[in-house]
Amino acid sequence: MRRITRLAAVATMLPLALAGCGSGGDSGGDAASTEKTEISYWLWDSNQLPAYQACADAFHAANPDITVKISQFGWADYWTSLTTNLVSGNAPDVFTNHLNYYPEFAAKRQILPLDDFIKADGVKTDAYAPGLADLWVSNDGKRYGLPKDFDTVAIFYNKKMLADAGISEDEMKKLTWNPTDGGTYEKVIAKLTIDENGKRGDEPGFDKSKVKVYGLGLDENNGAGVGQQMWSMYALSTGWQFTDKNPWGTRFRYDDPRFQQTIAWWRGLIEKGYMPSLAIARSGTSVNDGFGAGKYALSTNGSWMINSYYGYDGVEVGTAPTPVGPSGKRATIYNGLADSIYAGTEHKDQAWQWVKYLASADCQKKVAEKAVVFPAIPEALTIAEEKFAAKGIDISAFTVQIHEKTTSLYPITDHASDISAIMGPAMDAVLSFEADPSSLSKANDEVNALFQ
Amino acid sequence: MSAITERQHGASAPRRDTSVPRRRRRAGDLPVALVFLLPAAVGFGVFYLWPTLRTMYLSFTDYSLLAPPEWVGAENYRRLFQDPLFWNSLRVTVEYVVINIGVQTVVALGLAVLMHRLTRSGLIRGVLLLPYLVANVVVALIWYTMLDAQLGIVNRALEWVGLDPVAFFGETATAIPTIALVNVWRHMGYTALLIFAGLQAIPRTVYEAAATDGASEPTMFRRITLPLLRPTLVLVLVLTVIGSFQIFDTVAVTTKGGPVNATRVIYYYIYELAFQRFDFGYAAAICVALFAILAGLALMQLKMLRAGDTDLD
Amino acid sequence: MSHVPTARASFSPAGRRRPNWQRMAAWAILVLFVLITLVPFYWMLRISLSDNRTLAANAGSLLPADFTLGAFKRVLGIATLSEATAEGGSGATIDFWRYLANSVLTSAVITVCQVFFSAMAAYAFARLRWPGREKVFFVFLTALMVPPIFTALPNFVTVQQLGLLNTYAGIVLPYLFMTPFAVFFLRQFFLNISREVEEAAIVDGAGHARIFFRLIVPMSSAPIATISLLVYIGAWNEYFWPLLVGQEDDVRVLTVALGIFRSQTPQAGPDWAGLMAATLLAALPVIALFTVFGRWIVNSIQFSGIK
Repeated sequence: MRRITRLAAVATMLPLALAGCGSGGDSGGDAASTEKTEISYWLWDSNQLPAYQACADAFHAANPDITVKISQFGWADYWTSLTTNLVSGNAPDVFTNHLNYYPEFAAKRQILPLDDFIKADGVKTDAYAPGLADLWVSNDGKRYGLPKDFDTVAIFYNKKMLADAGISEDEMKKLTWNPTDGGTYEKVIAKLTIDENGKRGDEPGFDKSKVKVYGLGLDENNGAGVGQQMWSMYALSTGWQFTDKNPWGTRFRYDDPRFQQTIAWWRGLIEKGYMPSLAIARSGTSVNDGFGAGKYALSTNGSWMINSYYGYDGVEVGTAPTPVGPSGKRATIYNGLADSIYAGTEHKDQAWQWVKYLASADCQKKVAEKAVVFPAIPEALTIAEEKFAAKGIDISAFTVQIHEKTTSLYPITDHASDISAIMGPAMDAVLSFEADPSSLSKANDEVNALFQ
Repeated sequence: MSAITERQHGASAPRRDTSVPRRRRRAGDLPVALVFLLPAAVGFGVFYLWPTLRTMYLSFTDYSLLAPPEWVGAENYRRLFQDPLFWNSLRVTVEYVVINIGVQTVVALGLAVLMHRLTRSGLIRGVLLLPYLVANVVVALIWYTMLDAQLGIVNRALEWVGLDPVAFFGETATAIPTIALVNVWRHMGYTALLIFAGLQAIPRTVYEAAATDGASEPTMFRRITLPLLRPTLVLVLVLTVIGSFQIFDTVAVTTKGGPVNATRVIYYYIYELAFQRFDFGYAAAICVALFAILAGLALMQLKMLRAGDTDLD
Repeated sequence: MSHVPTARASFSPAGRRRPNWQRMAAWAILVLFVLITLVPFYWMLRISLSDNRTLAANAGSLLPADFTLGAFKRVLGIATLSEATAEGGSGATIDFWRYLANSVLTSAVITVCQVFFSAMAAYAFARLRWPGREKVFFVFLTALMVPPIFTALPNFVTVQQLGLLNTYAGIVLPYLFMTPFAVFFLRQFFLNISREVEEAAIVDGAGHARIFFRLIVPMSSAPIATISLLVYIGAWNEYFWPLLVGQEDDVRVLTVALGIFRSQTPQAGPDWAGLMAATLLAALPVIALFTVFGRWIVNSIQFSGIK
């Protein structure tokens, strides 16, 4: 029965699709309004589920013939399930996509290019925060997603520890950094580090083998070849770039002295006792829980973690933008998610309607209301700013880099997962002092060999 | 040792005729056997044999999952022999299996014998089985938090008695033993239960006779329990060794293969290749290699088992 | 069958005659292991009764951080969205009782069928004589060695082609007929059953079906009970397969539903309290099962000959 209605739906929608008219605007009140379709939609973040359910309800109200059924899978299961379902031709009509995965899906024709739909409906791709939409144009020149949100990186700090060290929040906004002596950033980190005798990291007699509070936390992941919230903001502020061009570069630059000096400085913090060793960082607790437990005074992390950091009882949290580097500018990776349409969907048009709605100001404002992520559309972002502020969270440390245009796009290339498989262990080896930063040149050769 | 077994048997069992069980060797049972095997054979054929054959086929192809496989001959196997990460993963896995199975078998055997000789309490058996009720992933997570170098309660306890904290999951040297012991914790009660079931099959009269002869508990363990338990132990070893080689969840939740490659066990490596790097053909080749190793091991263990078949009649 | 230590009453532990230091030490070791087993459970309980937001700051405390039943409310699906997020939980809702029923149903069906069919196969491998028996058995055994990630995909396609996605049948099907483990385990016990017993029955004119149902199965009731328990626990804990096949709400099982408390994004940590509460609640039905049938399991293995 259901199969028959589906077939019927396809039969009626097909000519429409061929005509390229895509039934824009309200599809209600049409002659074929008896045809009900159900669109399946997958996402991984349960924190965003209520927001997107609200969008789905509003969408259904506007398009009574289309119901959206949302399924949520945790990150670890999401990609394995999605792959299994893609292979068996059973994937959801629409799913949340990630930059690490979409080029592969696009190359293997698993997701639909949206260009024709966009053209037919006149959707503006410049409605989003600058640059975001470009992330989703693959190297075949076609667009595979419309941005729904974005993220940047900033420094979270423990207000009380800052006050105890006599560092003002104003100072935090003006930090500078360089790979040689670490600039005022390292001075602050040193001062915030306290050993078990109460000596600070910049005081004589500081015992780096018995540290009570580390100035800077170390993430349990090393970020492999991207280091988004771990080291990219330092390396990028030297003027270094990941690849020869972005997106779709074909030569990586992990052999650049600026990059290797940055990593040498970064791991130097471990030697100085200002940052925990890789072994400690990897031993069980996440960097944010360590921060919440008062083990770290500062912690660099992405905007998607705001609610986690601000969620710890008894910890007063503030945020500061990443430090200004040798290039005279700050830096952060700028990244975002988008929704893609499965190439095998039986409901191309309805799927597109839903994707279009997800990327619209209407839905993104609803998401903004929940203050969990930063919506991609500026006017929705304003609402999110207000909603975050209402929770006592100032997100300007994250957004300032967009206004000052100091963001760098997430490095999008082919072979993302192979690169990660090479760079992950290589960075581990450097951070655990098993290898020198210069060993990253060899890893770089391996990475570049993938593109030959 | 077998002489002792023989003698113990003499006291209780009339005869062991296992060396000639084929008295009525004939194909006559075949039709009946087919009927009894039918349901299991259907399940085996559809859900085990077919996927296995398919994996073997895929190991000769370049297959990205999302595009049709292309035949590449023995290329994947050539690559495998030259892949240091494969050999590393094999070494790490063997290290894990040796520690895991070694400790687990000794502990479980000890627990089973203690339960057998000390108490019939179902409560203790139930308590020891509790960890098995908890999913792998959760077991990994709870130990991960308890063993954290800075916040974990175990390290707090170590500090309290004056020891330095240890980054159990974080250090290259301790990561694999830690993972192995965490899984011992989960499986020791379960394994003890399997062994206990075998112990129950040893007649009490044997022990009673030995006790009357004035044998001490350790002597009885050496002379009665161990020899008579051998078939059960081999059974348990075959099952647990195969299971142990497939260590995955604990690594996936905690160390994710690191630090560097210290815990990149073979199954995790296969998973990364197949589902993260879409190199399914090569992953299948490693899978087949693992399969061959396990089959060899099982064959060896079964030979041991057959040598000790039906010590009890 | 000369040894017939029949009644349980006749049993008296050999050691009881000399209550000495050996026995004390043995008890001490056993108690130690019981404690090692229980400590992490206390830790789970402690976390499940804590408020996520204060958990990190109170990592060293032995008592629940900011005692609350909120996590259990989230698991049972009776916490409101604002209650859940106020304690650092996720906003997802779950229908605990429905998923519980699904889990009970699928695990029970898997257990009954798998144990029965495996016992039949084990009988053929242990008690029947036919050419190639050992070889076929070894082939069966090799099925243990195929990693599930390689069986999951083809099996998913099979179940899909049978049109059984999102049905109970699809969830139980791969486990229904056999597992090598169950066959191997039962065969081992069937092998140990005395041949005289069987031959006596054959002389009496019993067929194989009768021998199987009236002799082998009753005599192996303890191993069968043991394997049933283990199969049930295994089915109960099964996660990845039902995740793939049982996505729809009406067939979703408990483990899959409770996965929501695990890490949902690559970076964010899990809802610790919710996850531990979920784990403890999900274990309860199996613990209850063990309490009810526990005495029967394993304990009753007695080689008491025929009755």
